Amino acid sequence: MLNCIKTPDGPKIIVCCGSGGVGKTTISAAIGLYGALSGKKTIVLTIDPARRLADSLGLKKFDVDVQRVPIENLSVLNASRLSDAGLFAMMLDAKGTFDQLVARYAPPEFQKNIFKNRYYQHLSNNMAGSHEYMAMEKLYEIFSQNQYDLIVLDTPPSRRALDFLDAPQRMLNILGHNFFMKLFKPYLKTGKWGFRLLNIIASPVLRGISKVLGSEVLNDFAGFMQLWDDIMFEGFSRRATAVKELLSGNKTLFLAVATPQRLPMEEALFLYDKLLENNMPFGGFIVNRVNVEGTGEEGPEADSNKVFTKYLLDPSLKNKLISSHNSLVRMAVSDARSVRRLIEKIGPGGRVLQIPHATGEVVNLDDLYQLTRYFESARQV
Amino acid sequence: MTLAGEPAGAWLKRLFSRRLIFVMGKGGVGKTTISVALAYAAQRMNKKILLVEIGDADSIGKLYLERPLPDFPRQLMQNIWGVRVEPRAELEAYVRAHVTPGFIAGKIIRSRLFDYLFEATPGLKEVMSLGRLWRWEKDENNPSGSSFDLIIVDAPATGHGISLLRLPDLLIKMIRVGPVANQIRVLQRLLKNHQKTGLVLVALPEELPVNEAMEFYSEAEETLDMPVAATFINCVYPAAFSPNEIQQIEFLESSHLKQFSSVEKRILASAGKIILHRRNQQKHIDEICAKAKNHVQEVPFCFTNDLSVDEIQKLSSFNFPVC
Repeated sequence: MLNCIKTPDGPKIIVCCGSGGVGKTTISAAIGLYGALSGKKTIVLTIDPARRLADSLGLKKFDVDVQRVPIENLSVLNASRLSDAGLFAMMLDAKGTFDQLVARYAPPEFQKNIFKNRYYQHLSNNMAGSHEYMAMEKLYEIFSQNQYDLIVLDTPPSRRALDFLDAPQRMLNILGHNFFMKLFKPYLKTGKWGFRLLNIIASPVLRGISKVLGSEVLNDFAGFMQLWDDIMFEGFSRRATAVKELLSGNKTLFLAVATPQRLPMEEALFLYDKLLENNMPFGGFIVNRVNVEGTGEEGPEADSNKVFTKYLLDPSLKNKLISSHNSLVRMAVSDARSVRRLIEKIGPGGRVLQIPHATGEVVNLDDLYQLTRYFESARQV
Repeated sequence: MTLAGEPAGAWLKRLFSRRLIFVMGKGGVGKTTISVALAYAAQRMNKKILLVEIGDADSIGKLYLERPLPDFPRQLMQNIWGVRVEPRAELEAYVRAHVTPGFIAGKIIRSRLFDYLFEATPGLKEVMSLGRLWRWEKDENNPSGSSFDLIIVDAPATGHGISLLRLPDLLIKMIRVGPVANQIRVLQRLLKNHQKTGLVLVALPEELPVNEAMEFYSEAEETLDMPVAATFINCVYPAAFSPNEIQQIEFLESSHLKQFSSVEKRILASAGKIILHRRNQQKHIDEICAKAKNHVQEVPFCFTNDLSVDEIQKLSSFNFPVC
């Protein structure tokens, strides 16, 4: 499923999506390592990274500046004299990117007004999709600079994958063309120097709203919309369209990362549906932390009459051993059921890659390398 | 981490002395499981409970009804009721109540401007959702006959969960007069009343969730003035073996491996996995215990991905003894 990364005309952008807590950042880093080891100069872009992952990559911490991963510390690399093309990492700061965008498109004299507007502050920080959009924006910027053969993007843990896929379009819808005029035209009057002012008193609708929310809120909102419409819109919409084109093009591949739990699986499937619906390039599912004990040929739960018969074991320890083992088997059965349900829904075609649940945490590059070995393995369905 | 000399379950009694409990935590940590398990514990204490979901959330609804909860309280079990709060409907009701004549209110509600204001105004949705909770707390329009002793809110995932409680403070800076402003002031009094309202945090014993839990403690106490009343560490692997037994297992694994059958080897390997996993989790559990100021409750991992309502009820009676 991920072999295509190695080919010269393979994807240039890999986008890892999924809900939080499924190990998405670790998987992204492993894919980055996989790319670098197959001879592609690779950068991993991440948001909200774990301290441990920075450690495992041999970085002091993730930074908003590009950092080189000291891949020469990988022991297998020294043993087999593989070459690498360079692995880099960078953290994305969504809030910063939004401000950069304003700085890029708005004339300096208006920037202050935008930055201090409460709606701007709220939208850039909290609006569903704004962080996701900014991650895409940064991706586009790095792609355009053309310095890397492969970019791996670890997306924000979006509760609804939709937020992030629809982000460019949603931003356009909310802050779309002539938005201000369309919204406020019926309620406008022309002020002294030709400024457009809200005619709150004369409009029953505005009067009603201001009765409930206060006129201050309305003026703040109108002020923001007007600034955005006049100043930001053109540059912003051009960019949003370009971002969308890049994401739906043949250079990009989306991966849905999940664990066998119900919520992450639902999120991954939801994402899959959305990608198909939007004609976006879907690469497959990575199901992380799959318990495999007792599945396959190894057979079901252990029978206490048939084990440790030759060896004299304390009966209470024996019972504990068997019940612990059987609970892991039950977990594996539950995980297998969950993966089977996924495959039933999407049909066969080798688009599900399972990664077994490792007991230890990923603490160094060698652990990360162990993960990349599953990318080529046969546990694909 | 129960206080010394306290009967088991005293912490639950303390927690349930409040009327409004928000169950907070990141997506996937098991907020819904804990909310429902708490409801069963309260049920065993003969309380009448309202379980609340907000907005698009449908986890409780799926557990009981296989669809989202209705927007008026509906009985799910003996003494347990469920409801979903729809902020948009609340705001519409608000506009209808405060704007006359009625056709103007209708015009407002149907206007695109209203859509955008509703989406973009920081805190408006949150204030509307909380306003509904406040009315139930006050027993207005309660279709169930008698009042609820306990309202348990399965909060949206942390980012949102915390904004649910933080954004009213932001909105009051934008709106100073009028009915919404008054509503916010009343809400703030309810939320910051530590006798009436409590936060409960659900976390997993893993690195990222624990980091987030740490941030949550600070923000809850310093920014929200709503300290965490109890913490639940979910999916804790059983500490199945005593130190002595662990030694035995390690000994068996290292020295007698050849004489064991493949099944026996697998059984020993499983034990090793569980011991190691628990050891990894323990670091994170200790971190939480060091930071938490109130009761910390470990909730055992159930070794399945799909917990049914009955299994949650069992989980509740095994782990949340009441007194």
